[in-house]
Order: sequence, then structure tokens, then C-alpha cells
Amino acid sequence: MIAFKYTKTDGAEYLSHLDLLRHIDRTLRRAGIEVEYSRGYHKHPRIFMGNPPPLGVRSVSEYCTIDTAFGGDFKEAFNRFSPTGVKCVKATACERNPNFAQTITACGYVAEGINNFCAEELLACESIPVTDLRGRDVDIRPRIVSAGWRDGKLAFTLLCGEKNLRPDLFCGYLSQRYGGEAEYILKTESFGATVF
Amino acid sequence: MRKLLLKCEKPSRYIGGEYGAPHAQWGKFNFCMCFPDLYEVGMSNLGIKIVAQSFLDRGLCADFCFAPARDFGDGLKKAGVPLYSLSLKAPLKDFDMLGFSLQYELSYTNVLYMLDLAGIPLSREERRGGNYPLIAAGGPCTVNPEPLADFFDIFFIGDGESTDADVAEIYMRCGGATEEFYREISALDGVYVPEHTFPVYENGRLSSFAGQGKVKKALVSDLDGAVFPERTAVPNCESVHDRAVIEVMRGCYRGCRFCQAGFIYRPVRKRSVATLTRQACALIGSTGFSEVSLNSLSTGDYGRLTELLKSLKGALPPEITLALPSLRADSFEGDFAQDARKTSLTFAPEAGTQRLRDVINKDITEEEILKAAAGAFDAGYSAVKLYFMIGLPTETDRDLAGICEICEKIRALYAGKKRPKALRLSVSAATFVPKPFTPFQWERQIDENEVKYKQDYLIKHLPRGVKFSWSAYYPSLLEAVLARGDRALSKVVRAAYENGCTFDGWDNLFDEAGWRAAFAACGIDERSYVKERDEGELLPWDFIDVFVDKKFFADERRRAYEGRVTGSCLDGCKACGMQKKCPAARGEYDSL
Ligand code: SF4
Repeated sequence: MIAFKYTKTDGAEYLSHLDLLRHIDRTLRRAGIEVEYSRGYHKHPRIFMGNPPPLGVRSVSEYCTIDTAFGGDFKEAFNRFSPTGVKCVKATACERNPNFAQTITACGYVAEGINNFCAEELLACESIPVTDLRGRDVDIRPRIVSAGWRDGKLAFTLLCGEKNLRPDLFCGYLSQRYGGEAEYILKTESFGATVF
Repeated sequence: MRKLLLKCEKPSRYIGGEYGAPHAQWGKFNFCMCFPDLYEVGMSNLGIKIVAQSFLDRGLCADFCFAPARDFGDGLKKAGVPLYSLSLKAPLKDFDMLGFSLQYELSYTNVLYMLDLAGIPLSREERRGGNYPLIAAGGPCTVNPEPLADFFDIFFIGDGESTDADVAEIYMRCGGATEEFYREISALDGVYVPEHTFPVYENGRLSSFAGQGKVKKALVSDLDGAVFPERTAVPNCESVHDRAVIEVMRGCYRGCRFCQAGFIYRPVRKRSVATLTRQACALIGSTGFSEVSLNSLSTGDYGRLTELLKSLKGALPPEITLALPSLRADSFEGDFAQDARKTSLTFAPEAGTQRLRDVINKDITEEEILKAAAGAFDAGYSAVKLYFMIGLPTETDRDLAGICEICEKIRALYAGKKRPKALRLSVSAATFVPKPFTPFQWERQIDENEVKYKQDYLIKHLPRGVKFSWSAYYPSLLEAVLARGDRALSKVVRAAYENGCTFDGWDNLFDEAGWRAAFAACGIDERSYVKERDEGELLPWDFIDVFVDKKFFADERRRAYEGRVTGSCLDGCKACGMQKKCPAARGEYDSL
């Protein structure tokens, strides 16, 4: 198997998760990287992607695993045939599926455009109730790992996976509370036992 | 822009940058291929890629633009951003020519919608003297261009492989859309300039056409050597047919009497096994699609189909599947079934009894359908879709009962053996639309009560468990009106657009009230357009020559009423009028 880290930028941030999966499948076919197929009635290529960032959020830290016996230079081959903005940064061979969707537990982001505010004060709150996209009340405070200013940009880490907090939702909350609007959100890092 | 993109459904429709898209660059002549429907519909259309390729092959610029969904279109309008092309992201106004592809009548208001979003005045009259691109149209609907005559500068009739780009070259030579330019292009086959040729009415009846005379359709005789895009853009989001497409043949031997495509694309022309194999391999290699579709009106009639399938299987990677979309019941053979995914089997008997199938010259028997179904069921298929039409000339309740009987027989056939899954049987009944350049071009379309009666009949009598779908009355009426319409309809199309009608081909977006109000405001009774026409009458599209004789259509119509089958050109030439241009007429069924 090959696990690889890749980007979703330069327009690719508007691709839905399913469309991105199709693009990766096609990139591999164009590159001549043969992927194993699942057995069974509806065969599908064994491509395992991490959890998708919300539409419009750019990322330089996406992870994916494919079941393949390919022995060549994966990064070079992939990048030669991948769409703009979907580029492999690093690839590594692995014995077992790292299962990124389960093992990545938090992600780091930066955002520009939110008015300056005191991050310590925010983090000092015991609870931060918001209404999520489905109209449910949730306390997002436990899902915020860290937040602070770096070079004039807001850098923050949020839980993902089961206790996921969407970065756009978080930025929406900040805009409401402090003013300004997040122009660009970029996912910079993923945290978990399996990332590299 | 970012905010607008994020607010709309599927922003990836509007961002361009598709993998494999030709890198557009401004050139000596700049063409934008416009498709008046959504990105995912247009991206599956082979014709527009062929036309764009014909410009690229001559070193000219070709970009694309699709109709944005209303959410994005309204957003553009509000933000004051004119509609832009996909690759260059340039306002449509900056191109030298916009070429609209007219694939179906119910996309006409979308042409106006796109022009409007681009900030281009809708009618030729309003554009006169201004600095605007040439507004052109091509595609199957241009065989009767009259309902849109007010809006376009040029119509391309027939094959799009070379005429469009020829016109571009004349434009460059003449230094723009000068009088000389129009004079020169009018002399080309396949070019209709509505400003120069127009209908003359006497006492409310069309009496003649003034101007350039008959307009012949453009005809590519060598399909094998014709322009073909071997690299195409991979759509950003899933398109309706998300696969590589090769065009096996153009035209159809069959001559079904209701089918416009079967007549306007005559004669049959083919590509060779070697060319098709090369094109399929190139497309799969450059796009990474996992399926190749073998397109044509009747792929089963491609004489070397077995050889072609073998050749493709041998040359393509093993996981690539082959799709044969227009496979007719009678050309279905057991060995092809294995190539498609075992899901659903589609037949288009069109009519429920042999009598009515003879009337329409649809050369399928019930026996053939049942035999093909039996083979498919044994091969693992468990779903069958049947396509019928209601309102065909001479139809009676007996024919509707026939539809129900076929369903019963298919059910019995399936139940005859033990199968792992339950049968899914669905029936679709579209309302017959009489089209120009068919033997039924003079026929009436059934009215609202008749449509309702026939649909109710089927709802009541179809066996339980059959999934039945039908087309609504008014959109089919509108399709018939626009298909056989004249110039007077331009103002109705415009009024409908101004009433908010767009995406008329989408059931959920169709605005019947908007259209009804448009007809009323223009003082036109839409039903007057779907009455029976007199055979002696001059028809609005009679100035266009698709090389099939009007007399042949009239003879075919008579044979229809006598219930006589004409059969397929494969059994011999029927002398439709284009014998000199037709390989089949010379008995050359195997030539390209
Ligand atoms: S010329 Fe003859 S063979 Fe050719 S399309 Fe017409 S009828 Fe058929």
C-alpha cells in the first residue's frame, strides 16, 4: 500500500469529496499506477481518503491510502497526471492501511480577515454554545484545541473525526463575535498517530 | 467571487481548470462554444468538443461556457459580473464568435439567459452597429432555425466539423462581419444567415422564401478522417455521462418515421475499427475515465461490432467497461451483455402492438424483445426499462393495451425461472412530438384530454409493480410548437424569458405559467402550431435541404397509414433522395 499526503488548493478546494475521489482514481489511471479493486458485486478501486475539509477550505495537509503494488516514484508519477491543485507532497509505502479517517484526530488551520481579538480570553471560556448547520445547539469549546495569532493570521487547531468542528463554522462564530470575515481558510496540518 | 462560489450549489462548475482542458489563449480569432444547459450536461456532449477542436486544429482560440444554474446566474447579475468563459475567464462579449449548441428545443430560453448574463443585447436588431461577437448556433435543432431567427446572426446546419471554422477564416480575411463576409459565408453549405433569407407571407400563409434560396446542410463525407478531440477535459464534477465517448457512426439505417435524427443525419458514415480503437485508447489514456461509450443512433448496426469490441477489449486496460447506449432490442446479443455492468436493460419498442410498430417503421418484434430479455435475465440482469410513445398517428386503446401485455409477458418470462433478485420493470411513455424532416412532420399532436386519457389508461392497466413515468402535457406541447415553429415565435421565446422561464427542459424548473403568459401576450395560440399541416403547404423549414426529398417523406407517411414497413437501408436503398451521396445506396455497407 502507499500512503500519501497531498494538497487541495488552486481551485481544487471547490471539488466535493466524491468528485475528488473520482479525480484521484483517474489520476492514478492516467499515471499507470494500478490500484487493486475490491471484490464483490460492485467493484471499486481500493482508495481510502481521510476526512474531507469543508468545500472552499484549501488544504496542504490531506491524506490518502491506496492499495497498489506500484514500485516507482509515486510522487513524481502522481503529480505529472494530477489536476491543478491536487499535488502529492510526500508518499510512503506501508504494510497496513493507516486509516486516516479514523486516526487523524485534530487539524491545524490559518485564517485571514477576522478582526483582532484576544485568543486567551476566548480559550478561557468554559463553554461556547453555537447552533450548527443542522440547527442543533452544541458547545464547541471542547472541540477547540488551540487558537492564537501568528504573523497577523489567526492560527487554530480543531478536533476532527467524531468530535469534528468545521473551520468555516468556527470562523463564522468568530466573525459574529469579533467582526471581520474569514477570507481564506487554509488547513496547514493534521495531527494523529499515523501522519507523516 | 469566492463568496458567490461558496454560496452556490456545485461551485466546481464555474472554476474551469479542468484536467486536460485545452489551454485557451487569445488568438487571431476567438471562439467561445456556448452550451445552453448546465455544465454537467454540456460536458458530456461530444459535438461541442468536436466543434471546439476544429478551431484549435487551425490554431484559433476556442473556449467554453455553460449556462450557470440560477443561483450562480442571479449572483453574477447582482454582483455586476458578466458571464465569463471557463478557461480564459473572459467576458463572453470579448470573443469574436459565440457558438450556441442547440440540442433540444426546451433549451431555447437559456440562450437568451446566457446572452443577457453576458450583457449582450438579445436580438440582432438591438445589436446592429454595436461591437458584439457574432452570435451563431449549430446542433440538430437548427434544421428548423426559424423560432430563433431574431436572435442569431448565423445558423450552422448539419455537421460541425469544418463550416464553423471556415466562417472564422472568412471573417479574418474580410476584417470583420462586413457585407462581403456575409455574402461569402452565405455561399457555403451549412450556413444560413437569417438576415438575408426570410419567409414571405401572403394572406397569412407562408408563400416563399426571399434571399439566398435553399440552404444545404454541411456534410462530412469522411467521418474516419474527420476532426476528433483525442484529449478532452475531465469535468470537475460528475457529468451526466461521466465517461469517454467515441462516435462509431453518424446516421442511422433504420428510418423510424417519428425520428428526426434518423433523417437529418443521413447518410450513414462510419469510423474504422482501427481509428475507433486508437481514439478510445487515447481518450482513456488522457482522461483516466473508466468507461468508454460507443455512441451512434444504432450501434448494433455497425457491421463490425464484434470485431470492434474485441479490438477494444484487447487494447484497453482490463478494468475499462464498454457502454453501448443506443443498443436496440434486435441487435442485442448475449456476448455483449457481459461487457456492460449487470444492472439494467433498456428497450425502446416505442409502440405497444406490431401494427403500430409497422406504422412507425420500428423494426422490432415482441418475439425479439422477449428473446433478448430472456438471454439477459439468464446473464444476471434483473431490471428492464421500456420506452414507449403515446399519441403516435393511428394509435388506439388496443395499442395501449399492447404496452401492458408486453409488461405481463416480460414478468412471466422472469418468473419462469428461479432468480436471485426481484424484477424491476419500468415503463416510460413520452408524448409523440411531430418533428420537421420526418414522414410525420405534417401530423397533429394529441391534445390535453387525449394525453390525460392515455396516461390514465396506462396507470390503470399496467400490471402492478411496474414503475410508470410519463411526460407532462405542456412541455411536450411546447417542444412540438418550437420544433415546427416559424419566425413569429421569436417574440414568444423572448417574452417567456422575460417572464422568468429558463431551464425549460428540467421538470422541476419548468414554468408553465410563464410560457402560457408569453403566448397570450404575443396573441399567439400555441395549439395552432400542433394541428395537422397540409401536405401542399410550404413549411417554415422547407428552405433547408437535408438531402431527403419532401416527396419521400410524403410517401413514407402514406405507407405509415397503410401500415406498411419500409424497413432498413441495410436491406436495400429506399431512394430517399440522397443516393448520390450515400455509400449504402451503392451497396457499400462495409465501407467507411
Ligand atoms: S440514399 Fe438510400 S440507402 Fe442512403 S439513406 Fe437514402 S434510402 Fe437509405
